[in-house]
Amino acid sequence: MIRLLVIGGFLGAGKTTLVNRLLAHADRKIAVLVNDFGAVAVDAALIAAADATSITLANGCVCCSIGDDFGAALERVAAGKPELVIVEASGVADPWRIAQLALIEPGFELGPLVVLADAADLPRLQADRAVGDVVRGQLSYADIVVLTKTDIAGAALAGSRAAVAAIRPQAHVIEAGNLAASGGDVALADLDFAVPRARARFMAEAAHPFRTWTWRDARPFDRGALRGLLGSLPASVLRIKGFCGLDDDEGDWLLQYAAERWAFTRAGDAPERALVVIGTEAMDQPALEADFAAALR
Amino acid sequence: MTAVRVFKARRVVTMDPALPEATHVAVREGRILGAGGAELLGFYPGAAEDGRFADRVIVPGFVEGHCHAVEGMVWRLPYLGYFDRAMPAGGTAPGARTLAEALARLRSLEAALAPDQPLLVWGFDPIYYEGPRLHRRDLDAISPSRPIVVSHASGHIINVNSVVLERAGFSADSNLDGLVRDADGLTGELMGPPAMQRATRVAGGGGLMSRLDEEGLRAFARQASRVGITTATDLQRKLDAEMVAMMRRVTGAADFPVRLVAALGAREYSLADGVARAGELLGTGTGKLHFGIVKLTLDGSIQGFTGRLRWPGYHNGAANGMWYIAPSELEGIVEAYLRAGAQIHIHTNGDEASEAAIGALENVLARCPRPEHRTTLQHCQMADAAQFRRMAALGMAANLFVNHIYYWGEQHAALTAGPARAPRMNATATARREGVPVAIHSDAPVTPLGPLFSMWCAVNRLTSRGRVFGAGERLSVAAALHAVTLGPAWTLRLDHAVGSIAPGKFADFTVLEEDPFLVPPERLREIAVHATVLAGEVFHA
Repeated sequence: MIRLLVIGGFLGAGKTTLVNRLLAHADRKIAVLVNDFGAVAVDAALIAAADATSITLANGCVCCSIGDDFGAALERVAAGKPELVIVEASGVADPWRIAQLALIEPGFELGPLVVLADAADLPRLQADRAVGDVVRGQLSYADIVVLTKTDIAGAALAGSRAAVAAIRPQAHVIEAGNLAASGGDVALADLDFAVPRARARFMAEAAHPFRTWTWRDARPFDRGALRGLLGSLPASVLRIKGFCGLDDDEGDWLLQYAAERWAFTRAGDAPERALVVIGTEAMDQPALEADFAAALR
Repeated sequence: MTAVRVFKARRVVTMDPALPEATHVAVREGRILGAGGAELLGFYPGAAEDGRFADRVIVPGFVEGHCHAVEGMVWRLPYLGYFDRAMPAGGTAPGARTLAEALARLRSLEAALAPDQPLLVWGFDPIYYEGPRLHRRDLDAISPSRPIVVSHASGHIINVNSVVLERAGFSADSNLDGLVRDADGLTGELMGPPAMQRATRVAGGGGLMSRLDEEGLRAFARQASRVGITTATDLQRKLDAEMVAMMRRVTGAADFPVRLVAALGAREYSLADGVARAGELLGTGTGKLHFGIVKLTLDGSIQGFTGRLRWPGYHNGAANGMWYIAPSELEGIVEAYLRAGAQIHIHTNGDEASEAAIGALENVLARCPRPEHRTTLQHCQMADAAQFRRMAALGMAANLFVNHIYYWGEQHAALTAGPARAPRMNATATARREGVPVAIHSDAPVTPLGPLFSMWCAVNRLTSRGRVFGAGERLSVAAALHAVTLGPAWTLRLDHAVGSIAPGKFADFTVLEEDPFLVPPERLREIAVHATVLAGEVFHA
């Protein structure tokens, strides 16, 4: 499975800066898909090859233009077998529309939805008559919100924190300072649900913000009951990922759930029937276990 | 001395106030010497009278200020629309008046295909059909194994059969945005680019229309010529060297029947690359191939609920639409292209988008004045009098999408703009009254090419159900004719060369079987185009 990380956020939030930094400091093979290919400013010294729609870096990473068909672009980069695909959504796009596709794209698993916001400007932008709805919409499914420019936000910082808390209380918020300067860096390891402490730069001091537990029961679910369960999960559940059985079928099924959207697709032989559930601190594991048990055949 | 030819007609409508009407028009070297009566023959010794149009009416060649050359390519797939539609190869593709009729047509198309071919059709328009919507079961009955993709006329929805859903990984077990469902699971109706692109790709229909080719461009020009157009736009195109070379080669042929205005699609480039490319193309045109326009797309479409509307938004409560360019970045983009010498056309469907465009241009012009910039709002469907006044003050033009009144007017009243605003859409008379140069257009292939049809829409403002929408916005025939000739010519910076029959201009005419000023207004769209004349050469429709 290739992990897919979607990075969204309004114009000027710092997406391209972040992506350029992640590429330059990559500790694994990354493929980046961008809308505005012309804005990618990879240090020329790092570039091994480039053409009109892609750049290959000496460290094995690639950066490609999304072009007209996102799914086709995903297929192209998957052929290069990257460990991680990062999609930089355009500044006016809804990153959640893009992220959902990973739920059914064969070979991909969806990482957290990361949305950047300019802490100096968010209070004004989210109330803007013309674009406020776009800005709020981008934040409303985020798992991780990176507040940028916190070093210069001044009084706006408190307003930005309040705006995120109002729009997406489940999100984990990283206050990132100046992305372009050293010290304000966000490491790739910070942009994940499970952060190995050894790798985390930003969250090293903080408590891990996400809760994870695993549902282990090899018995099949009732298909209808499982659909009903997925349609009524509390907002504290951010992701479900794993394999399960269904009552009307012999095989194993891959289940992916993210922010009220879900898909289960036929899997090959699953290593183990288990579902990893990721959520916020508010997630009520015993209640969910009871709901899962009730959905078994 | 080059030969002078004098065309004789029942009437020549010149659109030239110095001589509005004539019976003869003299042509030399592809250009107009002048119009007048039979005395013209005496002005030019050796002039030959050409009487083949003696019983017909000559008007200035129509200028279609907003269409797309992909019109010449969509016909590679079968048409499944509601309305009869003329085909570039000649003849008419019949409309399907009922869903049953549409399904019967799909069945016969399916039977004629080779086993491994997908069945792909376009133009489906179910808002005109009573009863239940097209369902995957209907398509499965036509073929359970062959991928079927039915694209809607709006361009924002497709219907597919179960085999396509299965290959795309869409099922009742996938709850994603853009998959329409009912109690029985997915209906096979897919909305929005991600789901549509994925389904089209797995069906084997991806990339079919991706790049304009020579035959597509020729078919487009034939189609335009058949409906009386002598200057046509391709209003959003990646103009790389190979594409420009192809356009130069194809339009340069003596039998290529229209002048082509190719607009650089800004969204195909980064800003720096687009500005550089626009600059490179300036001054490289020919008489039949024109550059210099840059097209920006600000919002989506109203019928797709992706246009940006001002208060009170969509009548049915749908969320406001999408910005393709954020208003805050528009100013920088407009300024960069203006400074590069480009002329800017901005797609704005909803009135919030129009407002953003007007505001951006106002700010840019304050620090970067450009007399004669002629920035044009394309579609501009919901602009009101106040917006038109600002546009007039800034020197902007409006190319209004009057064909919408007929094709989507009822839908706008019921769902999008609502009953109060829908009749005020595409406010042609208000725009004129407020001093905005006005053009009208088809946006083909979104609606069919046909300036006479667009004139009919502007003059009658009838919906598909026969209701008059906005009687006060109806244009006179003369104003409507202006809006398909000099009006769009002005928006394309070609009014010195085309759009009226006046000395020095290109000898581009449209020859009609009937006089648009004499037929009852409701019959305007039925007037047959007999021929066009491009640079003095006759092309029979």
